[in-house]
Parts: sequence; structure tokens; C-alpha cells
Amino acid sequence: MRRNLFALPAAAVAAALLLAGCGGSSGANGSGSTQTADPGPDTGTITFTGTDNAETYQPVIKAFEAKNPGIKVTYTQIPFDQFNATMQQRLSAKDTGIDVYTVDEPRVSQLAAKGFLTDLSDLDGKVKTSFSAAAYKTNHFRDKLWSLPMWNSTQYLFYNKTALAKAKVTPPAADPQQRWTWEQVEAAGRKSMQAGGTKYGLFMEQPEAYYQLQPLAESLGGGSGVEGADVLTPAIETDGWKKAMQWYGATFASGLSPRGIGGFQTGPVFSNGDVAFFVGGPWDLKIFGSSKIDWGVAPLPYFQGGKPVTPTGSWSLGINPASKQQGMARKFLEFATLDPAGNLATTSTTTIIPANLDAQKQYTPKMDAFSGAKTAGAAAITAYESEHTAVSRPVSVGYIQFEEVLGKAFADIRNGTNPDARLQQATQQLTEAWRSIK
Amino acid sequence: MKQRQGLIALAFLTPALVCLAVLRIVPAISAVVESFYTESLLRGGRVFTGLSNYTDLLGSKDFRQSVGVTLLFTVLVNPIQVVVSFLLAVLFTQKAAGSKLWRTLVILPIATPPAVSAVIWSVIYRPDGLGNGVLGRLGLPAQPFLTSPNQVLPSLIVLLSWIGVGYWMLFLIAGIQEVPVEVREAALLDGAGPWRRMISVILPLVRRPLAFVLVADTVSNLLVFAPVQILTKGGPNGNSNLLMYDVYNRAYAIGDIHVAQAEVVILVALTLAIVAGQFRLLRGDQ
Repeated sequence: MRRNLFALPAAAVAAALLLAGCGGSSGANGSGSTQTADPGPDTGTITFTGTDNAETYQPVIKAFEAKNPGIKVTYTQIPFDQFNATMQQRLSAKDTGIDVYTVDEPRVSQLAAKGFLTDLSDLDGKVKTSFSAAAYKTNHFRDKLWSLPMWNSTQYLFYNKTALAKAKVTPPAADPQQRWTWEQVEAAGRKSMQAGGTKYGLFMEQPEAYYQLQPLAESLGGGSGVEGADVLTPAIETDGWKKAMQWYGATFASGLSPRGIGGFQTGPVFSNGDVAFFVGGPWDLKIFGSSKIDWGVAPLPYFQGGKPVTPTGSWSLGINPASKQQGMARKFLEFATLDPAGNLATTSTTTIIPANLDAQKQYTPKMDAFSGAKTAGAAAITAYESEHTAVSRPVSVGYIQFEEVLGKAFADIRNGTNPDARLQQATQQLTEAWRSIK
Repeated sequence: MKQRQGLIALAFLTPALVCLAVLRIVPAISAVVESFYTESLLRGGRVFTGLSNYTDLLGSKDFRQSVGVTLLFTVLVNPIQVVVSFLLAVLFTQKAAGSKLWRTLVILPIATPPAVSAVIWSVIYRPDGLGNGVLGRLGLPAQPFLTSPNQVLPSLIVLLSWIGVGYWMLFLIAGIQEVPVEVREAALLDGAGPWRRMISVILPLVRRPLAFVLVADTVSNLLVFAPVQILTKGGPNGNSNLLMYDVYNRAYAIGDIHVAQAEVVILVALTLAIVAGQFRLLRGDQ
């Protein structure tokens, strides 16, 4: 008995050590390296890491391999929810198993500051002429270019035609000049619920993501939520933010939107016919095409008295400085972004907007026909939003913390926490998280 | 000869010792060392700051809430799991029709990885999911489960018990089956009823496996991570923000590895204190 009991603390200590090991080691090394990286071998296999399904990148990989005999590309998928954390972990451990990876645009600054991206400034001239000014700017940090834009995005208001007809509501028009307000959407959504057409009135695809909720606050003049010369001062307690979050929290409290459904379970709520209005991205234009319901697409709403604002930006591609195959990695990255044919190939299975302007010109007109008559008007909406209403996410070295802290605040507000108090708490959390950065 | 035997033994042990050092001891020491540093992205470079990461943590309301939630969770989940495992073990060692089939069904969740279990339960706990479907059939109102600050911890406890109880039950079944038949028969002849036999005969004789189950279960519950990450992300309002998830969040989501390492050191100290306390209690009873 006694011997056995002595063995147990040893097991506990071993478990505790295991726990301690989970902390990992620090890999951040200040500013990104500016040295010219060793290009490595000309042939071999490079690894490309991202969040999308493998099928998304098969066409671009196939086209690249055909053009570059001797180079193979293997794709590794890490689910979206775990992507940022896993990449932080692997990049800080200088993992050479990643050559090229997808970079969420607002995260470029912090990834570059941590030394997780290879300097691509020699491509600056080409990038300036190939992409929009917003995309060009977002991929820069401290006057250097760290990643190349692959995709762009926007958001649409999808609506269930059958449910609206049942509720005797005229659906919103696709014309951006006749854009609905959130107040109109809310009223029509409630009518649809009352008429028994749908369980819910309105639902957002990413109900806890800054990308999708930023336009609510910005529409009311609340600002991006971060300010200051170093873009490290929280500003989420403005009137615009408070009003937007009160409205957002109330949509869940009143049952207009469902609580408890998150991650990637949101799309099916619309395609099963359970919600009258759904806010989603260009990828949904094709995904919803296979659903049985009849639907249409309209521009993203704005608040009455406010201004129309839409989200923009998407994934860029960057190179891991620890990669031993910089030359091959760069070839692939240039093909998938700077070469219009390569950039178009990245969008042939997932309907997302290519970032390369030449590719975009060829691609946008096709958007109207992605899902037959249902997607009519999508091309004009996309073109209009990118020119008039698109607002990027803030470029801040603290964006990663910003997004994480706000994501949790949105989740709590959605679940019924007082929005004003929660925004105040988030301000405090941001101040705490940014203290160590400053 | 003896010396040669010792060398051979050492040779066999070397791979394990090297792994222990490289995979456990070195990272543990590194965690302690790194917890005394901080790093500024704006200024660049690593600076020794002594105990400031620890004082920052202790001064943080979120961290104090996380410790509170973890302690509450520990106090609730461990007795529940140990008692349920013991009762099930007693039940499944009775000679009854179909007991082996039931036993298998209870053990099955062990084969499911925690992440998969969490995904299964995310469907059960959805507002229009299986859980509320069953409640509706019983004429009971729908429950918010994971979106209510009061229900989130009990909901996680149910999920974790579904995963864990079968596993811990196995050790107790093995222990109960080792109780000599003569002892059980003697108790029967003395006229002890089933309850009396369980409390006065079986329970004292399975104390060893029970002690193991209690300690190992406590350590494993202090390391709970996947269900929190997948289902609640610590919310709502930090009510399921268990320390292990908070460590992960600070290290890899917020990206402050040094504060996270300070938190790991605190979590290890807390684990050791709880386990030491349990040993003291168990020893006192002998």
C-alpha cells in the first residue's frame, strides 16, 4: 500500500511536468529578418498550409506543377478555428515543415514583427500595379512587403424568397442604391417568423467575428475600435460601438437570431430554410446553390441614419522564414498571386474574389451566374462595394489580441451579457494584452 | 558481474531517460525560466522582468476568475466521477443478465477522442439539438446549456463524465473482482444486505484502486482543454475558462508566451498542492 502510494506522487509529478511542457518555448525574435534568404534546391516538394479544404487548392497546385516540372506541392489543412493558434505554435518553433502559408491580412503586422514572414520587398513594384491600393497597403508593415494578396471578399444579404413571400414581404433589391437598413431587415425577419415561414429572422455567418461585425459599428460612426499613433489604443466604447452592440445583443435576446450555433454550423441554418435573412460571403454564392430553398442576394444593410460600410480583405500568402526551400516557395507564391492565371485557379472551386486586378476583371462578371438566377446582381454588388463601401480591418501590430478579445466579447454579448459593461471589460482586457507589446 | 548488469540496465533505460529529459524536464525548466522574461514587439528583444508576469497575472481579474472556475470545477467534477464510476463498477460486477453488454456500452466512449466527443456534444447541446429535443418530448422547457453562465459548467461536467466514467470504472471493476470470494460469502452468511456489503466490505477493500482513480482523475480534469476550446472558448463571461484553456489562449491566441508560462507554473503548483492534499487525506485514513 505504502509503495503504491509513493508511486502515485511520481505519476502526478510526471503529469505536472507534461503540463509544464505544454507551455512550449519562446520563438519570437523581434523584427523580421531582412537578410536575403538562401533559395535552397530548385526541385523537390514544398508544403503549403491553409484553412480551406484540399479541393480548393487542387487546381492551382496542378497548374503550378504543370508549369514547373520537378516541383511538387503538398497541401496541409488546419481547420479555421485552430489555424492561428497552431501557426503561432509551429512558426515560433521554427518548423521547417511549412514553406508557404495563408496569412489573414490584418495579422500581417504582428506576424512580420514576430519574424514569422520572409521579406518580399523586392516584389514591391509588381505588387503595386497588380493589386488594389487597399490590398497593397495591408500587406506592408514598417515600409516592407511581407505577403502577397491572394483573395478579396465582401458580404451580401442572402434572403429566403419563399419565406418572404409567405410573410407578404417584398424582398430587398440587388441595386446598391436601394440598399435596406438593418431596421427594415429586422422588421421583415420578424414578419417571416410570425408567418411561420422560418424559425429565425436574421443570422450572420460568423456571429462572433470582428470581420463581420465591424461594419455594424462603423455604419453608426463608431470607428474601427482601435486608434492612436501606434494603433494600440482601444476605442470600442464609442457611441457607435455601444449602439451597434446593443442592437446586436437584442437580436439574440428577442429570438430573431439563434444562440448556441457557431463556427461553421451557421450556413446550414439558411440552406435548410430556417432563417429569412443571412449575412454571408462570396463563397456562399456557390455553396447555397445546392440547397433546396429559393433564395436571392442583396447588398449588406446599414443602420438608418448611418452610412453603408462593408468588410473587405481576405487571405494573403506568405513564406515561412524557417523554410529551407525559399526559392521554390517564392515561385509558388508568385504563381498563385501575381500570375492572373494562377490567381484565377485559386478561385475555381471556392467562389471567392481573386485579389489580382487582371484576374478580378475576368472573374467578377461571372459571379452573376454562380447559382443560376439566384445569384443575379452579385457581380454589380461586388464591384460597387469594393469601390464605395469597403473598409479594411485595422492594421495594428496588436490585431491578433484585438480580434481574440473582441471575439469573446461578441460571444458574451450574443449570450445576453450587458453590451456596455462587456465593451468596458474588453477595453481593460485589450489594455492588459497590449501592455506587453508596447 | 554486478557492475556489468548495472551497465546493461542503464543501456536499456537510456532511451527512456533521454526522452524524459528532452521532452519533459527541459521544457519544464524552460517554462520556469521564460516566465521571468517579457518581450516587446514594438521595442524588440527579450527583457528579464523578475516576477512581474506573476504579479500581472495575480492582478488580473480574468485570471482570478479562471482560478475560481477551475477550483469550482475540480470540487464538483472529481467526486461526481469517482462516485459514479464506483457505483457503476459495483453494478456491473453483479451477476446479472446482460451486465457485460452494459459494461461495454459504458466503456465505449473511451475509444472516442475528446475532440470528437466535444463535436458530438456540440450537436446535443445546440438550441435545436438532441438535448432540447429529449426535454421537449418530456414536456420540459428548452435549456440554453452552453450559452448560459449558470449551466455551462454543469454541461461540461456531464460531457466529461460521459467520456471519463467508463475509463475510471475499469480500474474499479478490476479492484472489485480481486475481493476474495470468501470475504463476500462470509458477509452474505452474516446477513449483510447489498448496501452494507458495498460500504463495509467492498469499499475498504478497493481503497488502492480508488486512491489511484481519485488522483489520476483529478490530474486529468485539471488538464481539460479540448471540450472548452471546441464548445465554449471559456465563455459565457469566463464561466468555463478553465486554467488549461486560459494558458493556451494566452500563449497561442493572445500570443503572450511568457505570461502563459507563468500561468503554467501556477497551474503545476496548484495541481501538486491538490494531489498532495489528497495523499494526506488518504494516508490519514489508513
